[in-house]
Amino acid sequence: MKKFFTLLKVEGKLSLRCIDSIFFGVCMPVGIMILIGLIVGQNPAPTDAGYTLIQSSFGALITVGICATAFMGIPLTIADYRDKKILKHFFVTPVSPTMLLWVHAVINMLLSLVSALLIYAVARTFFGYEIIGGKLAFFGSYLLVMVSMYSLGLLIASLCRTVKTANVVCSIVYFPMLFLSGATIPFEIFPQPLQNVASFLPLTQGIALLKSTSLGLETNLFLPLMVLVGSLVMGIILSIRFFRWE
Amino acid sequence: MKNCIEVKNLNKSYGNRVVVKNLNLTVKKGEVFGLLGPNGAGKSTTIDCILGLKLFENGSVQVLGMDPTKERKQLFERVGVQLQSSSYQGNIRVGEVCEEIAALYQSPADYYDLLAQFKLDHYLKQPVAKLSGGEKQKLSILLALIPQPEVLFLDELTTGLDTEARREVWQVLTALKEKGLTLFLTSHYMDEVEVLCDRVCIINRGETLVTDTVPELIRKSPYKRLEEAYLWFMKEEIAI
Repeated sequence: MKKFFTLLKVEGKLSLRCIDSIFFGVCMPVGIMILIGLIVGQNPAPTDAGYTLIQSSFGALITVGICATAFMGIPLTIADYRDKKILKHFFVTPVSPTMLLWVHAVINMLLSLVSALLIYAVARTFFGYEIIGGKLAFFGSYLLVMVSMYSLGLLIASLCRTVKTANVVCSIVYFPMLFLSGATIPFEIFPQPLQNVASFLPLTQGIALLKSTSLGLETNLFLPLMVLVGSLVMGIILSIRFFRWE
Repeated sequence: MKNCIEVKNLNKSYGNRVVVKNLNLTVKKGEVFGLLGPNGAGKSTTIDCILGLKLFENGSVQVLGMDPTKERKQLFERVGVQLQSSSYQGNIRVGEVCEEIAALYQSPADYYDLLAQFKLDHYLKQPVAKLSGGEKQKLSILLALIPQPEVLFLDELTTGLDTEARREVWQVLTALKEKGLTLFLTSHYMDEVEVLCDRVCIINRGETLVTDTVPELIRKSPYKRLEEAYLWFMKEEIAI
């Protein structure tokens, strides 16, 4: 355990030194929260009668941090460490390189949790937000969305052989997920054809789940749960199948 | 004396290309063994196979009496490795990379002592990326010494080092050798091989050309220095 925490300390310091992971993982999501709050916070949501826009989009906004860590942080770090033979070097020590992957999973989880908590704090303090549905169900949904997206991030790391391809693939995945899943721009204001396409994104289903649990709605969650659990299982199986240490 | 490293009938190919062909070698405890050969001869692949980093078609490998793939955790408490052209996490500082590596072992060496021995102690808070090529190379050897190894693998140990730094590395390694360290190295510098190695094995295109002690090797050739002897064994024409 001591090994794990020493690695966590050193690798954590390195992550904090990277401005981009802090910017995309924490500053940007909190910034978007403040912007939306200032512009339309207290307006009624376009489709959910009886809720303000902040209430309706809180579940979506806290996934921005997950998005940044899952589709930038995790795959890019792994691709970089593989390129630099750092993972390979762990094979010739008593510790498995898997431990290094876990260390980075934990760092990124902490980063997205910090981002989510900050968004909650801002929403609550400045815009009078409170979760309507059950907090435990909401937190559980949040964790499911997180691990599900992380497994997809791991899959990108497994399939991309070089840092360059990982970079390209991450951008191709990250930006549509960010803008089309409803994480930043409310899904409800998209025209119908775009909604149909965007529904295929796993994060869209994750946001549907989070929105429903945050508002305490009694909607049918079979589809979102299936998509998230399905992505998680597929992501893990395929990552293990295609993962290369070097 | 007991054997520290034992390689029997090692064969390795990538697709149709044979990289290591029927390699046999044994390294005794306290011995310094050099694996020599031109670029692409199969030296790094051989080291990777010995360390269990690459699977091989047939043959067997034992290090300290253990199978590197099956007893990895116990084995690498006692074996230090420097891989060819190692690099490090971006932004990491010298002290941090030492701390991280030291944390992986049960009884690591005091890395402050090692940094002083290698004259790197004043770089403790420096980013590794800002070190010169030679200093980075010294750091990679230093990291391989952190486990206080009984067996040390060094792949191209002094590539990129200046003359003075090379001497420093030689001194540290010779001192460790006197304490009973077993060393397996690859190098392109024959002066270094003459200073450090007890026995060498020359390979080319995966085939073993000769395995012998340095003086015997020179005696078998018509020359007086290892470099010429090496080239003679490689069947190279030397234009004088």
